[in-house]
Parts: sequence; structure tokens; C-alpha cells
Amino acid sequence: MIKKLAYAVGLPLILFVLWFVLSNGSENFYAPPLKDILRAFADTWTPERLRADVVPSLLRLAAGYALAAVIGIALGVAIGLNRRLRATLEPVLEFFRAIPPPVLVPVIMLFAGIGNGMKVIVIVFGCIWPILLNTVEGVRAVDSVQADTARAYGITGPARIARVVLPSASPQIAAGLRQALSIAIILMVISEMFAASNGLGFTIVQFQRSFAIPEMWSGIILLGLLGFALSLLFRLAERRALRWYDGLREAQRRS
Amino acid sequence: MLEVKGLRKVYRSGSGDVEALRDLTFHVDTGDLVCLVGPSGCGKTTLLRCLAGLLDPTAGTVRIDGHEVAGPPPGLAMVFQEYGRSLFPWMSVRDNVELPLKQKRIPRTRRLELVGEALDAVGLAGTESSYPWQLSGGMQQRVAIARAVAYEPTTLLMDEPFAAVDAQTRADLEDLVRSLWQRLRVTILFVTHDIDEAVYLGQRVVMLSSSPTVVQDELVVDLPAARDQLHTRADSRFTALRTHVYEQIQAAKRGRPATTV
Amino acid sequence: MRALTKVSLGLAGLAGLLVLVELLPRLGLVDDRYLPPTTRILGALQDEISTGDLWRALGDTLYAWAIGLLIAVVAGVVAGIAIGAVPVLRAATASTVEFLRPIPSVALIPLAVLLYGTDLGSTLLLVVYAAFWQVLVQVLYGVADVDPVAAETAHSFRFTTWGRIRYVLWPTALPYVFTGVRLAAAVALILAVTAELVIGAPGLGQSIAVAQSSGAIPTMYALIAVTGLLGVAINVAARAFERRSLAWHQSVRGEIPA
Repeated sequence: MIKKLAYAVGLPLILFVLWFVLSNGSENFYAPPLKDILRAFADTWTPERLRADVVPSLLRLAAGYALAAVIGIALGVAIGLNRRLRATLEPVLEFFRAIPPPVLVPVIMLFAGIGNGMKVIVIVFGCIWPILLNTVEGVRAVDSVQADTARAYGITGPARIARVVLPSASPQIAAGLRQALSIAIILMVISEMFAASNGLGFTIVQFQRSFAIPEMWSGIILLGLLGFALSLLFRLAERRALRWYDGLREAQRRS
Repeated sequence: MLEVKGLRKVYRSGSGDVEALRDLTFHVDTGDLVCLVGPSGCGKTTLLRCLAGLLDPTAGTVRIDGHEVAGPPPGLAMVFQEYGRSLFPWMSVRDNVELPLKQKRIPRTRRLELVGEALDAVGLAGTESSYPWQLSGGMQQRVAIARAVAYEPTTLLMDEPFAAVDAQTRADLEDLVRSLWQRLRVTILFVTHDIDEAVYLGQRVVMLSSSPTVVQDELVVDLPAARDQLHTRADSRFTALRTHVYEQIQAAKRGRPATTV
Repeated sequence: MRALTKVSLGLAGLAGLLVLVELLPRLGLVDDRYLPPTTRILGALQDEISTGDLWRALGDTLYAWAIGLLIAVVAGVVAGIAIGAVPVLRAATASTVEFLRPIPSVALIPLAVLLYGTDLGSTLLLVVYAAFWQVLVQVLYGVADVDPVAAETAHSFRFTTWGRIRYVLWPTALPYVFTGVRLAAAVALILAVTAELVIGAPGLGQSIAVAQSSGAIPTMYALIAVTGLLGVAINVAARAFERRSLAWHQSVRGEIPA
């Protein structure tokens, strides 16, 4: 237990100390001493600042991500269950997925201006594709014996979708949601860098433009911490929801 | 009562049609236990899928309790060979057995009663909240049987249910099927490729030819109703019946009827 | 469904998209200043091709993509094998990898701007950072997948460390390396275009930003469509490359009971 903990915190600690010591007394304008960055972090990210800049960013992220998840899964189930529809739409969807999501920002700015709506729409449009395509793939790959079983026991209609199709596709859907989360964070930052009056991305770019280098570094670190925290949250939720899947895989590997 | 009349199934594909079932006619009386055996690749799975209403036949009819089958009939339960894939791994044992009952809109208290009784009957009381994959193969197939029993079917189709479990578990499960059948008086059609199993379990044995499939022969198993693994299998009548079925299957592989009894 | 039906349905879907984009603005359902009809977008594309601007931008993007991907793959594979070959190292770096990986690469944009301005270096920094983790994580999965029996066999025959890497670790990790390369190729394109778009490094992204700010909306759509097609081409090529390289491996895998 102690050994495990030592392994987990050992290297990060060493790196942190190295950075601290090596940057101490640094004259390089772009790489200020870590001491200064940490001081800037405490000064910059006060509760008021967090409320004014981080909370709006997170709210937009949550709204866009949730919408993308609901729409993506609903459409994915509909498309995945219909072979003709799937064959018709798959190339179009592959094309949309292949467009680098940030280029959607200028397009959506045309339609939705530069308000909150634009940023939420950008996030929805950017991160819906992996969710949608993974759902289609997961629904399509429902095991044939499971499908036969459901039919033979009269499990049809909404019950089939809720109790058989969605759970069976859920590992694949989770993979799509995981990809979508990192795209959503990227788009949250990018849309704020383009046009915003608040938000994390906006603030960090402001620091860079005004050459407030330690503050800029503190923003980068905050963004990193945020990305880490969100992916940790996702992993916890995923492990809980897919406990059966991990167990099944483990059981299959043993046999 | 299960009646199959003139059943024929042709798979259409780009590279020409494949006739899986040619002309099948047989029946299983209400409350009877009939085993279906045939050489490997004789279209057993196609036949069962037609009986269960999962596949539309090209010609012929299937009637269950007098109603023609078009889509899965309500009074029919099925036990699949691939128990690991037939049980839903995201649900506990209890939920797996209970889900079909929910679809039948049975009230909750009655559902829980049925689930409890069924799991008891297959000797799995106490595993309700486990996941299927936490159980051994034989136990998983017991869950699938419990699910079928709890569904209270008039007709039970079993598709080589014990092909994937080890020999000792298999003997236990065979006895379980016999005792459930005697207690519940359901009509059972049991498909197997194992001749011993067919003779040991069945009141009658229907032998199929190789594909395109017709009925090769039928046989009444005149062994006493009370059977056990040790004495029944050592019985000289059992050996004689077994030999007969064996010869018919060998003949079916060669493509003509045998003449011995 | 026959392959032919599938292809024709897919083509019908694509044609439907083109017709939809033509009709929406023509029927006045969408303002044609925001979404010009397909024919006008194609016209703009024609202009971009004939002036040669498109090829220049495409070349810049592909150049940054290829260099960035190459650096990321080499670094990712070397680091992955080195970490994977030494159990202590693997245990010690796990938490650091888990921490650094989810850091959004766009967080580095301000830093890239300060360090490299609008040069290729800015794009490369982002591309390499984002693509590196894709490769590294896959290689680590691959190394973790080494059959313990194979590892013990190598041990009992007293393989050297190099021999162990060469004959046991590397062949096992190879399929994962290809998967990592495929994922990294897609991510690298996204980051290359993003860097160009946001920072202004030369390439397709910059052209899109210029077209947007100068009000050349059909050109903007034409360029976006080109990035999408480029993305599709990279995905298809990466998948084909992965399948070809692993033909032998899939057949071996097929024999292992699930």
C-alpha cells in the first residue's frame, strides 16, 4: 500500500521539485520561476475570479456535452437499428466526424453570433460525432443470440431498447463519450479564445497578450488540472456504470 | 401440442439458393418430451429458429397449441446453446429471469414469487444478485432454464443446451430437465447431437437426415418413466434403442434409410 | 445487404447532403450569406484550385501534420518500450502519464504563440504534444498485453534485455503501435488545423480564418470541406495501413478462444 502510494506520488513530486529548483532565479522571460507562477496562481484564481471565469466556462461545457450526449445517443440508436438508414448516412457522418471540430467555430459564429449560444452549439456540433458513430457501431454489434433471446421472450419496443440494445452498446457508447469529453474541453477553450468576454480560454489569451507570463502559466496549469479532474470524474462514472462489463471481460480472460 | 407440417426453408443469397430444410413433418403431443437428433450440419438451428418464430419458413406451417406461428408465440420459451450470450451480462440473475415476466405485465409480487420458485427448482436459490458471468457454465445454463421455467410456457424448445458444459454437469442437467418436465407437464422439444442424451431424455426420438433435411425416422423410447444415469444407461433396452438411432444417423450421413431394428 | 446496394445508398446520402445545402439557401430557409448553396461553394473551390492557393495551404498543413506525427510516433514508441520494458519505471510513471495525458493540448496555445509566434514551431508543439500521448498509451497497453508464458519462456532461455524487447515485447506491442499511429494521425490533423486557425500559422486553418474575416463565406465552406475530405482520406489510409500490416496478426488472434 505504502509502496503503491510512493510510486504514485514519487515521480510527480520529483518533477515538481526539479521544476521548482531549476527555474528558481530563472531570468528567462517566458519561463519564470515556479515560485512566481505559484504566487500568481494564488493571486489570480481567487474565488471571485473562479466564479466570473471558470464557472461560465464549465456551465457551457456541461450544457454542450449533455446535449451532444442525448442527441448523439438518440440518433445513434435510430440509425443503428435501421440498416438502410445506416448505409445511407454513414459516409456523411464519417465526413462530419473528420472535419477538425475547431473550424466549426467560424461557421457557427456566422449563425449564432458570439454569445453563450454559439459556444454551446460549437461544443454540441464538435463532440456529437464520436458519440453518434460509436452508438451506431455499438447498436449494430448487438450479439445475435442476445437479440434472438429478446425476441423469443417477447422483449420488444421500448423495453428492448432500454434493457437490451442500450446496455449492450454501452461500452462502445462510453468510448465515444470519452473521446467527446476531450473534444468538448478543447472547443470550450477555443470558442472562448475566438470571441468572449469571460471564460478560461479568454482569460488565458488576455494574459498572454498582455505578457503577464506567470499568470498565463497559472492559467495553463489550471486548465491542465481541470482536464485531469474531468477525466478522473469520467473514469469513476464509467467504472461504476460498466462494472458488469469489466467483470465479464475479467471472467472471459480467466477461462 | 407442437405440429410441424411440410416445413421448408431456402436461404436466398447472391451466389445461388441454399436449401436447408426440404420437407419436415412431425409433431410433439401436449406434455410429451421429444428429442431431435441428426448428423452435424443438418439444419437443426434453422429448424428451431423457424419453430420459435425467429425465422420465416419458405413453405409449410408450424402450429403451437393450434395457433400458427408467425413471430415469437407467447406460450413458448427457448433455451439456447450459447448460455453465455443468451443471458444478459449487464443484469443480475434475478433481473435476467424477471425481465420476460415484466414484458408479460405480471404484477410484481407474483413475479418475485415466480423468480424465486424457478431458481429454487433449478437449485440456484441464493444466487439472485450475482451476475451470470460470476457463475460456472453449468450454473449459467441453469439460470437460462430457470428463466424459461418462470415464463410458464406451454412449450419449451431447447437447442443443444448442454453441448458446451462438461460431462458431469451435463448428467446433472439432464436429470434436472427430466424432473422439471415430470413436475411441470410442459411440452418439450429437445435438440441434441448426442445420441445417448436423446435416448436417455426422450419419450420419443425424431431423427433427421443430413441437409437438405427431411425426417429420417421416428422411434418411441419404451423405457420406464423413472430413469437414472446409472441403471437406465446400463439397461439392455437402452443399448438397443441407442444402436438403432446410431445406425439411422450413420445412414443419414450416407444419405439412405437403414433397415435394421 | 449487397455491397453494391450499400455503396449506392452511401452515395445517395452524400448526394442528398449536396442537394440539401443547395436547396436550403435557395428556398430562403437559411440566409445565403451564412450558408451559400453548394454550387457557389464548388465555384469558390474551383477558384482556390486555379489560383494554387489551395495547394499551398494543403501542402503546409500536410507538412506540419507529417513532421509532427513522425516526431510523436518515434518519441511515443521509444518512450513506451523503454517504460514498458522496466517494471519499476512503469509503476513510477503511471500516475504522471495519467496526469499529463488529459491536459488539453489547446492549453499550450498561448505558450506556443510566445515561443514560436506564427511559425511552423507553434503548430508542431501542439501536434506533437497531442499525438504523443495517443501513441504512448497504446504502446503501454501493448507492452502490458505480453503473454506471461512468452515472457517466462524468454526468461528461462536467458534472453538478454535487447532480445526480450526484440522478440517478445515488440511483436506483441506492434498491433497496438499501429492503432496508436492511426489515432495519432487523426488527432494530429485536428491540432494542425486548430493551430493554424487560432494562432495563424500557415495552412488550411489560417486560410479558413482569413476567408471568414474577409467575408469570403463560400471559400470558407470550400476549405472546411477540404479539411473534412483530408480527414476522411487520412482515416481511410491509416485503417488500410493498419489492416495490411496486421493481416498475419489477426489470423493468429483468431485461433485464441475468446
